[in-house]
Amino acid sequence: MSYLRLQGLTKRYPGHLAVSDLNLDVERGEIVALLGPSGSGKTTTLRLLAGFEVPDAGSIVVDGEDVTRLAPAARRFGMVFQNYALFPHLDVGENVAFGLRDVPDVGARVAAALARVDLTGFERRRVTELSGGQQQRVALARSLAPEPRVLLLDEPLSNLDPTLRERTRRELREQIKRTGITTLFVTHEQEEAFDLGDRIAVLNAGRLEQAGSADDLYDRPATSFVARFVGRTSTLPGRLAGRGPGRRVIVRPEALRFAPDGHITGRVIARRFTGGFALFSVESDGVSFDVHAPHDAVKVGDEVRVTIERVLMEEPE
Amino acid sequence: MSRRAPWAAAALTLLLSWLIIYPLVVVFAEAAGADLGTFVRDRVAREALWGSLWTSAASVVLAAAVGIPLAFIFERYDFPGRAVLGTLVALPAVMPPLVGVIAFLFLYGESGFVSRAIQALAGSREAPWQLQGAGAILLVHAYSMYAYFYMFTRAGLARLDASVLEAAASLGAGRFETFRRVTLPLLRPALVGASLLTFMTALASFSAPYIFGGGFRVMTTQIVATRLNGDIATAMLETAALTALALLGFALVRWTERGERSYAAVGKGAPPALRPITRPLARVLAAAAGWLFAVLLLLPHLTLILISLVPLNSWTTETLPPALSTINYRRLFTEAERLGPMVNSLWMAAVATAASLALAVWAAHLVVRRRSRLAGAIETLVALPWAVPGTVLAIALATMFAVNSPLTGRLVLVGTAFILPIAYTVRNLPLTGRAVLAGFRQLDPALEEAAESLGAGRLRRLWKVTLPLLRPALAAGGSLAFVTALGDFVVSVLLYPNFQLRPISIEIISAMRFNDLGLAAAFGVVLMLVSALALGVGGRVGR
Repeated sequence: MSYLRLQGLTKRYPGHLAVSDLNLDVERGEIVALLGPSGSGKTTTLRLLAGFEVPDAGSIVVDGEDVTRLAPAARRFGMVFQNYALFPHLDVGENVAFGLRDVPDVGARVAAALARVDLTGFERRRVTELSGGQQQRVALARSLAPEPRVLLLDEPLSNLDPTLRERTRRELREQIKRTGITTLFVTHEQEEAFDLGDRIAVLNAGRLEQAGSADDLYDRPATSFVARFVGRTSTLPGRLAGRGPGRRVIVRPEALRFAPDGHITGRVIARRFTGGFALFSVESDGVSFDVHAPHDAVKVGDEVRVTIERVLMEEPE
Repeated sequence: MSRRAPWAAAALTLLLSWLIIYPLVVVFAEAAGADLGTFVRDRVAREALWGSLWTSAASVVLAAAVGIPLAFIFERYDFPGRAVLGTLVALPAVMPPLVGVIAFLFLYGESGFVSRAIQALAGSREAPWQLQGAGAILLVHAYSMYAYFYMFTRAGLARLDASVLEAAASLGAGRFETFRRVTLPLLRPALVGASLLTFMTALASFSAPYIFGGGFRVMTTQIVATRLNGDIATAMLETAALTALALLGFALVRWTERGERSYAAVGKGAPPALRPITRPLARVLAAAAGWLFAVLLLLPHLTLILISLVPLNSWTTETLPPALSTINYRRLFTEAERLGPMVNSLWMAAVATAASLALAVWAAHLVVRRRSRLAGAIETLVALPWAVPGTVLAIALATMFAVNSPLTGRLVLVGTAFILPIAYTVRNLPLTGRAVLAGFRQLDPALEEAAESLGAGRLRRLWKVTLPLLRPALAAGGSLAFVTALGDFVVSVLLYPNFQLRPISIEIISAMRFNDLGLAAAFGVVLMLVSALALGVGGRVGR
């Protein structure tokens, strides 16, 4: 049986359903991303796991123990908050030591926790003096110090500036993997989910759309929401794609190719330069779609023919 | 945290209702038994009601006339001495109402310094005026209440976005038109707030009319007089009438505050820069006006200090006191009869402050964190005592706690050491409640959640995270509450249980009655210093 099980988790707020019948299994030591647009229920799911919210139905089982109604303080789940929530009236060492009660040799434990995030010797620093990246690492050290069963992170990188984000992402993954802790994190950025997570759970309107690896989601989306939400897609009506009326297809830009014998005729209306390859916007019969091709393949204004190499998904119109 | 705590909220609502609403209900119930006709026909009562209304309205006009121009000068112009003068403006705040009133008596009264100086200059033996009646009350009110307008207007001006004024100018509006069409409308919430605050404070004012009123009665003093005459039923009717008036004002305040909240969100940006006064003559005039104002502000304090150094019966007809010594202060600290009231006031104020802080933290936790269904009711209950004039509160508590009837929630506390701390606690609740609620709203809920996810239970969270982070709010609200309770006169005079348990203000009044002015002034100076110290400490911790 999986280490962490979410079964039929449901949370209702006055006027809307935040999380609806959510089932998710997480293996020991796995990192799972909860990915979705705002309002998809990913943060509520995380707060249900932390115990800050109580579900209206369903259960959370960790290591065979049902913790659904356990108070957050008794749950032994570590949490890193979006704004880190470091205690401003305590220094770095006191922050990290906060969860270490009735533990022998707190000083050594704090030092070890700080060493794990490359902040050795920062014990007496004030948290307000730290940079955003350092605050994030203190928050991680603080949540890991009491050796929780599960680590939860709420948009862990959203407060960092973009140049720092990519590097921190890799470091964060290394630090988590080194402790081997089972981890769930919330994000609305695909790149972050792909980089940091072993597996990604895509949420939409409180429901789990699909959970799987990045390749699964990209190549084998379970629903049209996942197909459109992950990566870039265009939607073509059936008549252009050679399908019957009332049907339409979802295609990726790289599954479309300029070809002299292509059966879709159109006109290039724009080009977005991205390096060796470019995205060309093509308009055909009032429909526009994107084609991924070498940056000098065609020019804006050209009449072109396009062929579909692979259809990602077909759906009723 | 969305986990609700219905029982805790219900318990607190019940406790606050019992302390705040129920006593007022008891007053209305007793008033209902009285003959309304006698009240309506009673000329004295009618005059007192009218006197309360018009002096309160006049106090608003006077305080506005002093406070608004001052605020504009300090917020918009730079002139020599601006920083020093800006801090002096807070001086009236460290004077408890009763102390302020006797300082005015020493300064502008018939045998005060100013009239003695005029007598000496004119060579006359007659006092040039009598400090009595409505004029004297209004003088004290203008002095002690202009600060509301000053502070509200300055805060409003500081919130003004300079770019809004620049936008008006770029659209062709001149300075006067910008003021009339942009500045004034934007300041309106602040001015309405200051007006209501001043009106309510003046309506509840007791010390000034009590000392200076003479034949001129307002509701607060009329109630006490009627009660002393033994006409309890009429006193209840008068109390009920004043309560109704005050509650109406309270409802108005809440209503206007609602509008202001949506307003504040607009203002984001830098306030207009200070405009230095460069013309030499204007600079001299501004500085002179500023310093004259500072002297006027400081005179009552200086007078009080000087009088406190005058030994008993040593000063008769001379313009200035002939002998000065610290004998009064030594009496204060060596005579058990003088030390007692100081100890009483200190412990009662301290207990009341601690109790009102505890209630405020409890209430704020339920309102802000637990989002209780009763949140609105709790917030209103916490703010309500502010609107209840001290006279009303004292009479209501005296009535409610004079009967032993546990089944109806009443017991005998009048005459015990409990009654004053309870009354102070209720009066302090709006001060601590306001500060703690604001502090709680600024607290990031994630901090408490972080502590919780790190395994901290309820008590440890409160002790290690919430209270340390609330320290500025607790210090600010607590110091204000302590100072208010320490300097209280109106509640004390109506409720103090016996001679042994009398607070400082009662001792001041009895010293005045024995013409022991130096001793009364020395008490006043001590109160002033302790108040300044408490507010200073409260402000420092708050930063």
